[in-house]
Amino acid sequence: MSSTTPSMTAVLPSKKTRLSGHILAIPGAVVALISFFLPWLDYVANGTVFLSLTGREAASSPAITTGSGAELFRATPTAYLVPLLGLVVLALTALAFWRGYVTEWDGFALISLGIVTLIFVWLQFTNAQELADKANTAVQSGYGLIGVYLALLATIIGGSLHVRTATERKPSLRGLLSAWGFMSPGMLLILVFFIIPVIITLVLSLTDLASSNFSEPWHFVGLDNYKRMFSDTFFPKILGNTFRYVILTLGFFNVGLALVLALLTTHISRRAGFIFRILWLLPRITPSVVYIVMWRRFVQVPPHGIINQFIGWFGGEYQPYWLNEAPWLFVVMVNGFVGASFGMIIFSSAIEAIPKDVMTAAKVDGASALQIIRDITLPLLKWPLLFVTTYQTLSLLVSFEYILLLTGGGPGLYTTEVWSLTAYNRALATYFGSNQWGYGAAWMFVLVVIGATLATIYLRVFRFDDLVAEPKIDVL
Amino acid sequence: MKVELENLSKRWGNVYGARGVDLDIKDGEFVVFLGPSGCGKTTTLLMVAGIYKPSEGLIHFDGQVVNTVAPKDRNIGMVFQSYALYPHMDVFHNISYPLKLQKAPKAEMEERTQRVADMMGIGHLMERKPAMLSGGQQQRVALGRALVKEPGLLLFDEPLSNLDARLRLSMRSEIKRLQLELGITSIYVTHDQVEAMTMADRIAVMKDGQLQAFATPEELYDRPRTMFIGGFVGNPPMNFAEVAVSRRNDSFHARREGLDVVVPSDRGEKASASDKGIMGIRPEDVTIADEGVSGEVFVVEPLGRDHLVTVDIAGIYVHVLADPALGLHIGDKVKVNFNTSKVQFFNPETEQSLLWA
Ligand SMILES: Nc1ncnc2c1ncn2[C@@H]1O[C@H](COP(=O)(O)OP(=O)(O)O)[C@@H](O)[C@H]1O
Ligand SMILES: [Mg+2]
Repeated sequence: MSSTTPSMTAVLPSKKTRLSGHILAIPGAVVALISFFLPWLDYVANGTVFLSLTGREAASSPAITTGSGAELFRATPTAYLVPLLGLVVLALTALAFWRGYVTEWDGFALISLGIVTLIFVWLQFTNAQELADKANTAVQSGYGLIGVYLALLATIIGGSLHVRTATERKPSLRGLLSAWGFMSPGMLLILVFFIIPVIITLVLSLTDLASSNFSEPWHFVGLDNYKRMFSDTFFPKILGNTFRYVILTLGFFNVGLALVLALLTTHISRRAGFIFRILWLLPRITPSVVYIVMWRRFVQVPPHGIINQFIGWFGGEYQPYWLNEAPWLFVVMVNGFVGASFGMIIFSSAIEAIPKDVMTAAKVDGASALQIIRDITLPLLKWPLLFVTTYQTLSLLVSFEYILLLTGGGPGLYTTEVWSLTAYNRALATYFGSNQWGYGAAWMFVLVVIGATLATIYLRVFRFDDLVAEPKIDVL
Repeated sequence: MKVELENLSKRWGNVYGARGVDLDIKDGEFVVFLGPSGCGKTTTLLMVAGIYKPSEGLIHFDGQVVNTVAPKDRNIGMVFQSYALYPHMDVFHNISYPLKLQKAPKAEMEERTQRVADMMGIGHLMERKPAMLSGGQQQRVALGRALVKEPGLLLFDEPLSNLDARLRLSMRSEIKRLQLELGITSIYVTHDQVEAMTMADRIAVMKDGQLQAFATPEELYDRPRTMFIGGFVGNPPMNFAEVAVSRRNDSFHARREGLDVVVPSDRGEKASASDKGIMGIRPEDVTIADEGVSGEVFVVEPLGRDHLVTVDIAGIYVHVLADPALGLHIGDKVKVNFNTSKVQFFNPETEQSLLWA
C-alpha cells in the first residue's frame, strides 16, 4: 500500500464514475455513428428508412433539388435535428470527459470519429451540386455532420481540460500548452504518416480512378468498389487465406516458435543464448529478395532444389515440386522464420527480467524446470505475450512481400493470395494492363478498418490500459 | 537435520565465491553466516540449497552426501532479502505453492496454508497480491511459504535487510522465537553483526570466501581469534593500536608513544612473546577518568544513552563510550583509563590472536 502515491489514485476515476462516464459517452457515439452512416445508407439504397430523421420530406420539395449548399440547408429545417441532437449529447460527453468520468480511450475513439466525419463533411461540400441530383439527404446530413463535428471539437477541448485538471488541478494555460506541445510532434507524425494516408485511401476507394480511364475525368462512384469487392468470386477464398496465413504464422512461429526459442536461449549459458538469438535475427536483416531467392533454391522444380537433392542422395524417389505441393507450408515457414525473432527478443528479455530470487524460490519450493515454466515464467509473460500477439497480428495482416516474391499468390488461382496482396495486385500490379487505384484502395481501406477494429478489441479485451496504469512487478 | 560442509569451494574461472569452508551444524541449531558484503555468504548458502554446484567439497545432510540432489528434493525452505514472492499469485497461492507441488490433497493443503498464515499473522490477507502488501507482510508470506512444507532446513539470505529499523527489530525476535519453537535447523546469512549476535547459537564469520571462525557469540566477542573478527563483531568497533609488550619488574606493560598501560600478566605474558603486537580494546572497556593516559577530545557523537567520544592520544584515535553527563566538548583535555582485563593482542603480520590459539 505504501507504494501507491495518493495523487496517482486521485486521477483515476472510480469504477462507478467511469461507468457513468460510459453511459454519458455511449449516446454521443451512437448519434455520431448514425449521422455518419445514415446519409450513406440513404444514398446507396435511396430508401425510406430514416427519412424523418434526416429531413428527407423537406428535401423532396422541387425548389431545392438544385442550388448551393447554403440554400439547401435553409430549405430543410429538419436537417437541424441530427446536428442539434449530436451537439447536445456530445457536449454532455465533453462535460463528462472534462470531469474525468470518461477514460482516455473513449475520448480517443470520439476524436478519431470526429476526424473521419470532417472528411465526409468536406466530401459533401465539394460535391454538393452533383450529389444533390441523386440524393439531397446526403447533402443535408452533411450539414448535420458539421454540428457533430463541432461537438467533437468540444470533446477534444474538454479532453484537454481534463488533462489539465488531472495533472495540476489548478487551471494553468502553461500546463495546457506544454502538454499539447509535447504531444504535438508525435501527433503530427501520426497525422502525416497514418491518418492522412488512410483518408486518401478512403477517398480514392470511392472513385473509379484507374489507368484504363486515366485520360478521362474520374468520378466518385460511391460504394461501387466495395460492392464489387464483396461480390468477387474469390472474395471468400482470399478472406480464408488471410485468416489461415495470420493464424498459422502467428501460432506456430511468431508466438509459438518465438516462445520456445526464448525459453531455450534463456535456459542455456548466457553467451550461447546470445549467439543463438543473433542467428535467429539473420533472416530479418537479410534483404527480402535475397532471403526468398535462398528459399526458392530449396524448393526448385525437380530434380533441382536443395531438398530434392538431399532426397536424391539418400536414394529417395519422391522428388516433388515442393512449392506446388505444399505452398502453404512454405508461405508460413518463410514468414515465420522472419517473424519469430521479434517475439523471441521480447520474450527473452522479459524472461531475463524475472528476478533470479523468484526462480530460486521456485526451485527450493520443489518445482521442476517444466513446472517453473508453467507456473512462474508463462504467467509472468502474460503481457509480453499479449503484446506480441497483437502487434504481430496487425503486421501480418498487412505484410505480403514474401508471399509476392515466393509464390506471387499462386500456384494456380489465388491459392496463397492474401488480402494485402490482392490490394497490391489490384492497385499497383499491372494486371491486364490496368492499375485500378480506386478498387485497390477499397481493399486496403477495409483492411485498415479490420486492423483498427482488431487493435481496439485487443486493447479493450486484454485491458492494455491496466498494463500501463499499474506496475506489474513491485520494485522494492 | 544435521548439515555438514566439507572443504566446500565455489569458483568461477579464477574468482572464488567460497573457499574451503568446513562447517558442522547440529540438528536444530541456528547458525548465522556473518561477514561483509561479497565475502561469499550467499554463494555458500546457495550451494547448500543446491542452486550452485560446488566446485569442490561435499555437503552432507544427516550424513548423506547431497551434492547431486536437486534443490527440490533437498527438503529445504528459503527466505530472501527481496522476498521473492510470486507476483502473479495471491498470498494463499504463494504459501501453498510448495504443497501444490507435493500434490497434497486439497483439504490438507488449505488447512496447512491457513495454519501457517495464521501463525505468521497474515491469515486475513489470503486474497492479496504481493504488490498490495507492505514489506513486513511480504516477508511474513515468504516465511510462511518456507515453513509450510515443514522443511528439515531453513535458509535465510539477509531476510530483514529491506525492512525499516523498527520492523527489523521485531521480526528478528519473531524469527528467533519461531525457530526455537519449531526446532528447525537454520542457516541465516547477514552482514549485520547485531543480528548475528542476538540470533545465533553459533556464528560462522566469513571473509574473502573463507571461514574465519565458527563459534558462539560470546566466544567471538570475548576471545576473537583474528583481528578481523575483533573489528567486525561488536559495535562500535574495537580500537586497535600497535604496541610493544614487555615485562618490567613483576608487571607487563603495553607501550607506545604517549601510552603506557599495565596489562594482566596472563595476557601480557602471551603478548610479550612477540616483540610487536596490535592491542585491541572495545570502546566500552575504555573510560574517561581522573587518572590515566592523557588525550584530547577529537569529536563527540551522541548515541542517546552514551556519547561516543573519539580521543586523540598522541596521534591515534581511540573510541570511548562516555557518560553524557560529563559534558565533553571538542578540544577538552581528558584522561582515559583502559579496562585491561578485556584487552586483546594480535600479531601484526598474521593478524592472528596472540592470546587465543
Ligand atoms: N555467479 C557469479 N559469477 C561470478 N562471481 C560471482 C557470482 N556470484 C558471486 N560471485 C562472486 O563471489 C563473491 C561472493 O559473493 P556472494 O556470495 O554473493 O557474497 P555475499 O552474499 O557475502 O555478499 C563475490 O566476490 C562475487 O563477486
Ligand atoms: Mg549476499
